[in-house]
Amino acid sequence: MKYEAVIGLEIHVQLNSATKLFCDCPNRPGDEPNRNTCPICLWLPGALPQLSQEAFEKATLACLTLNCTIQPESAFDQKVYYYPDLPKGFQLSQHHKPLARNGWVDIMGEDGRNKRLRIHHIHMEEDVAKLVHETEGKTPISLVDFNRAGTPLIEIVSEADLRSPHEAMEYVKTLRSQLRYTGSAECSLEQGTLRVDANISLRPRGTDELNTKVEVKNMNSIRNVGDAIAYEIIRQTNCLEKGEPILLHTRLWDPEKRVTSPMRGKFSGPCIPDPSVPKIVVSNDWLKEMQGRLPEMPGQKKERFLREYGLTPEEASNMSFERDLSEFFEAVVKQDIPPRKIAGWMTTYLVPALRDRNQTIRETLLTAERFTRLLSMLEKDIINAHAAKEVMLQLLSSEETPEEIVEKGGFHQVSDTTELEAFIDRIIAEHPSVVEDFRKGNTKVMGFLMGLAMKASQGKANPKLLKEILTKRLNPKP
Amino acid sequence: MVSEIYTHKNMSPNSFANDGSLSGKRVVIQPNMSVRGWLCDAGSLALKGFVALEDATTVTRMRNAGVELVGSSRMSELGFGLAGDTATRILSGGEADIALVTDTMGEARVAAAGSGIFGFKPSFGIVSRFGLVGLVPSMECYGILGKRLEDMIDTLSVISGKDKDDPSMPDEGFPDFTAARKPLKMPCTAGVVKECFDILQDRERKAFRTGLARLEEAGLTIREVNLSDFDLFRVVHNIVASVEASSSAGKYDGVRYGHRSSSGKNWNDMYLNSRGESFGSLIKTFLYQGAYFQFENYPAFENACRNRRRLVRAVVDLLGHVDLLVFPTMRLGHDAEKAATINHIYDAFLLTLPANVTGQPSLHVPSLALHSEVDIGVQLIGLRLEDPRLLSIGLKLSSTAQGGSAA
Repeated sequence: MKYEAVIGLEIHVQLNSATKLFCDCPNRPGDEPNRNTCPICLWLPGALPQLSQEAFEKATLACLTLNCTIQPESAFDQKVYYYPDLPKGFQLSQHHKPLARNGWVDIMGEDGRNKRLRIHHIHMEEDVAKLVHETEGKTPISLVDFNRAGTPLIEIVSEADLRSPHEAMEYVKTLRSQLRYTGSAECSLEQGTLRVDANISLRPRGTDELNTKVEVKNMNSIRNVGDAIAYEIIRQTNCLEKGEPILLHTRLWDPEKRVTSPMRGKFSGPCIPDPSVPKIVVSNDWLKEMQGRLPEMPGQKKERFLREYGLTPEEASNMSFERDLSEFFEAVVKQDIPPRKIAGWMTTYLVPALRDRNQTIRETLLTAERFTRLLSMLEKDIINAHAAKEVMLQLLSSEETPEEIVEKGGFHQVSDTTELEAFIDRIIAEHPSVVEDFRKGNTKVMGFLMGLAMKASQGKANPKLLKEILTKRLNPKP
Repeated sequence: MVSEIYTHKNMSPNSFANDGSLSGKRVVIQPNMSVRGWLCDAGSLALKGFVALEDATTVTRMRNAGVELVGSSRMSELGFGLAGDTATRILSGGEADIALVTDTMGEARVAAAGSGIFGFKPSFGIVSRFGLVGLVPSMECYGILGKRLEDMIDTLSVISGKDKDDPSMPDEGFPDFTAARKPLKMPCTAGVVKECFDILQDRERKAFRTGLARLEEAGLTIREVNLSDFDLFRVVHNIVASVEASSSAGKYDGVRYGHRSSSGKNWNDMYLNSRGESFGSLIKTFLYQGAYFQFENYPAFENACRNRRRLVRAVVDLLGHVDLLVFPTMRLGHDAEKAATINHIYDAFLLTLPANVTGQPSLHVPSLALHSEVDIGVQLIGLRLEDPRLLSIGLKLSSTAQGGSAA
């Protein structure tokens, strides 16, 4: 392709502080409409904003984990525009003096090499109210729900360093993982607690022009971020090839039709320094304290897992990407189960099971202690892998102990050789031609016979013993 | 009860505390200062029918100190200027000892000058703005009017000080108003800004000279000082205040309270019509001007903010050389109550708005700058947080005035 995409992302993240940004109302936008409101977030006459210390600290942790420099002085501005979702005719945001600048995240590029993507700045701002449009009889009415008005957001503005949909998706994934680690935000695209706006322009490959950009909004999953950008690159390429100009505007991604369509002209209102919210001055001591509160980050953790537990790089990545899972992993490691075995089990069985159930590890009943006992039974040959997988699935939602589940479900591994010999003899008798094949040198049929024998034992056979007996039977001593 | 001079007359003014430091003092406020259950319309149709949900911090503090809240006066629309303000009438009628009025460009001092009483604007940020329906947050504050300076000092003592509900108050400590009662430390030098003196008309100059002579009689030394940017105060105030006013008034949409237009096809029309019908022509012009600087000429606003910082430095610098600055309070031939255009209003408040631009305390002392029965007032400006010192000078001057030949 003769064009190169220049992509910058603006990401809004809702902080999970207990209160709104400037008042003590609960930060729960989903409650019954207008339940979480007060004179401050409704901006009734005489109210004054009071910056929430918790929201400010969470914003700071988010900035630190994205390697930004917290500014010694930051301040709020009024972003002026008139719309029913803004109770005061302006939004409090940080335009002139953002909280933090100059950050970065490292991603794995398409060529498998590390690529550093720069963050221009991160600022705090308040969210706006939610509008609901309905009809009352035949009259259209617009309702305003102020629960969301004043809830705390940070906006993470990247440099235009991204070049492809892949990089955009990796950037969002990495950033989300980092932010979740700090415990400051939930970062769910699906639930709207992380919202991505992409600015996309094209230029002839090999130049460093900056052309008119188009903003694309409304992507509610990471895949949609990639798809919307890919679509927009093709759309702009077609425009350029037809000689049509690219106009500065905003487009909406339609996840059903998988296209972007124009929304409105890009409007940017003025930003006036706000005279009522005091400027934020940060001391070095306080900053040190905040740095001390940062947990070990996924990158550092991965290095440590490689070093301490002898995991492969892929296993180490998988085990460090999410904080809850990484802590779960380490808790099990401490119980003397081989680390690679745990990592293998978690990656192969546990993580897919969580994904199927759309749950996080915390939301299940599977604790590290229960998982450890399960794996110990596997280690001690009390159950086999097949049974262990079944037991694990039950442990996710059952309060019974692993032992009780094994007992009740009859998951005990069959290690009684007489019993196993009986299964094998029956299979050999039922499949003489296959046995014949094997004896003629087709050793591949071994797997087939093993499968049949395992099935005959209802999956409970000790596979090691089973194989031993089968091998013995198939190769009668001369 | 509503009357020609009250928007709310308190029929049961007895306060909770009878042994407080302001026990029995009668105070009238304005309807942009929140008292739970009282109409709080800031003199504007845009807040028509809005009743305060809780007490302003000042109100709570005054009540706890034993004040009897007489009621709220009538006020200019959103506290911009003095048109229709009745606070001084209530004081002159002997119905209250103290009046609180919003001072955005000198309203308290100019109103006082017109009625022969004291008017004081405290340092910016020492009185909580919680519950004040303001317009220009960086310049406005509670101004105090009264016949007796002692009452005003006691009131300031009560209403000033840190308030957790107003985080915008700077954390720089607060003046101790009891110090205002102590005798003034002498010698004391007052600076007269030459650039201000030069623009006065002949009659104003004569009256002002009389006032300066009285200062000298009281033992102050008068010195001429230069403030070459004096003419910038007006334009800086105009630009910054109009921009802040435009933002502050952005919330008045007539939806949750206030006047709501009955016409309009959609919500945009509804907003435009409601706001169009709510605001009077003077405030409308001012808001429009602010919106112009916000949307069309932001660099001019930035420039005004830079110049404002320069003016603050210049005045602080001067006050390193003299103890206070002295200006006349009001202009002759520029009636603040009748000012109907932005230009007229800025003409009328030209001499008081510098203290609002710089955040410094300023006291109007009556009965000193007299010429042919006209009192244009002596206005003292001191360093921020040196309010007690200004008031102490005021006490000294008032005893001179009462005992002097002008009485």
